[in-house]
Amino acid sequence: MRSSSWTRRRRVGYAFIAPVFLFLCAVVLFPLGHAFYTSLLRVRGLSSTFVGFANYARVLTDDAFWHSLGVSLAFTTSCVLLHMAIGLGLALLLDGLRFARTALRIAFLTPWMVAPAVGATIWLWLLEPQFGVVNYLLVAWGAVKAPLAWLGEPALAFASVVAVDTWRGVPFVMLLMLAGLQTIPREQYEAAAIDGADAWQRFRYVTLPNLRYLLVVASTLDVINTIRHYDIIGVMTAGGPAGATEVLPVLLYNTAFRGNRFGEAAAIGVLLLAIVLAFSLLHIRAARLER
Amino acid sequence: MKRTSVLRWIVALAALAVVLFPFYWMLNTSLKPQTEIFLSPPTFLSSHWSLDAYATVLTQRPVGRYFLNSLIVALGTTALSVVLAALAAYGFTRFFPRGATPFIVLLLFTKMLPETLLIIPYFRLMSDLGLLNTYAALVLAYSSFALPFSVWMLIGFFRSIPRDIDEAAMIDGATYLQAFWRVILPLARPGLVAVALFTFLIAWNSYVWALVLTTDSSMYVLSVGIANMVGEYRVQWNELMAAAVIAAVPVMVLYSLLERHLVNAITAGAVKG
Repeated sequence: MRSSSWTRRRRVGYAFIAPVFLFLCAVVLFPLGHAFYTSLLRVRGLSSTFVGFANYARVLTDDAFWHSLGVSLAFTTSCVLLHMAIGLGLALLLDGLRFARTALRIAFLTPWMVAPAVGATIWLWLLEPQFGVVNYLLVAWGAVKAPLAWLGEPALAFASVVAVDTWRGVPFVMLLMLAGLQTIPREQYEAAAIDGADAWQRFRYVTLPNLRYLLVVASTLDVINTIRHYDIIGVMTAGGPAGATEVLPVLLYNTAFRGNRFGEAAAIGVLLLAIVLAFSLLHIRAARLER
Repeated sequence: MKRTSVLRWIVALAALAVVLFPFYWMLNTSLKPQTEIFLSPPTFLSSHWSLDAYATVLTQRPVGRYFLNSLIVALGTTALSVVLAALAAYGFTRFFPRGATPFIVLLLFTKMLPETLLIIPYFRLMSDLGLLNTYAALVLAYSSFALPFSVWMLIGFFRSIPRDIDEAAMIDGATYLQAFWRVILPLARPGLVAVALFTFLIAWNSYVWALVLTTDSSMYVLSVGIANMVGEYRVQWNELMAAAVIAAVPVMVLYSLLERHLVNAITAGAVKG
């Protein structure tokens, strides 16, 4: 009697969770499998032939892939370091204010709220070489002599997309760090002050150790989010000029939807997935270890 | 003490000015007449501000249509995701509480899939099925990243509702479905509303899926329609910025209303993994 009501209970439970499982299989697992399958095909228009791992061999011997991997790593490293440094700095700044904290927090979050594609469009106008306000201000302040072609030169274009991604990515880290700062017991600061610690020492020996866990978790999560991000670069440069901003997701998109080489693009995607998964494992381990 | 706090405020407001400047410039440009856009030096405040660019994009350009498309797709995604997520969150927290954590880790992985990898099968499958340029394709595609998020957040909310409550309802003779529908859902309403709004915003802000799954400009969502306006022969920046305001302002308002839940929503992914 007892066991039959228990199995009935299980059955009811399955009925509640089954729809999500089925749906996730249909919208995530099946497409993912299909993507793997596509990476083994050569797709030419409507016809496709099975080529085994030829796409991977081709991608891995292609200079464009290695170049793109380098751009991705440089982009992700620069962005994440900037997100973390500025995000932590802003959090410390806001945490010390007495009033208007909620309003300021919301105001600082706005770049993160807006669609990246829309944010990137606004920046396209700000950075417009002839009439853009950024060039106007820099020339007016004497920072540069002549207007710069922000998205027209490789090094400048790379710096520009990093700057825009920083603008968008900082609030996320700031919010996490603000939450983290709230959890640090006040007594620790008081004890440090009694011991005669100055502001830097309090940061170094109280704040940082307390935030260590959150810093690791936030940076691994940020790496995962940045390395697979397409929208900002897709809108601003589409990978140009001369491939200077062609991070892996952009290379993938261009290969598939501009070059019509779906098999190769899927292979690039699987390699990108492998990189993301490696960081995911790191992230999950970091999130678990210190609990 | 007093001096450091003044200094803090100065640095904070300077930083805020830099962060918000792009939005000020978006708004400023959107209010200018066409002839004033290309003035040098540019005008930071203008006596010619008007809503003409807004009228133009809403009447002579399909921005109203983009808005409607974004709304339909985001609402469809939200409805689908929240219904499925509520069932699953109830199922996990009430029937398989131990299974919830492994399931959350699984969701974590699906949340981390590169969307550019998934758009390839979505594009190929939807074009094979003749579903390009349909709301259905967009809603299905969007649920692939919205649903894991909704389930994840709702499990958190449902966990905070004591199980004694639905057990008490069942002792009073309610069935599981009645307990879920009459007791738990009303109690979870604040959580449901927050999750629904977040799901809506995530869908509203997405770009690359719709970029790939729509080729007919009457089916563009706002993000795609706006980004595509940049590619035009002669960009009308005031109109473009007016469209950007139309896309950005509702999102800012909704997120600000959700501020209280924001830390939870974000840290759900970062801390409770």
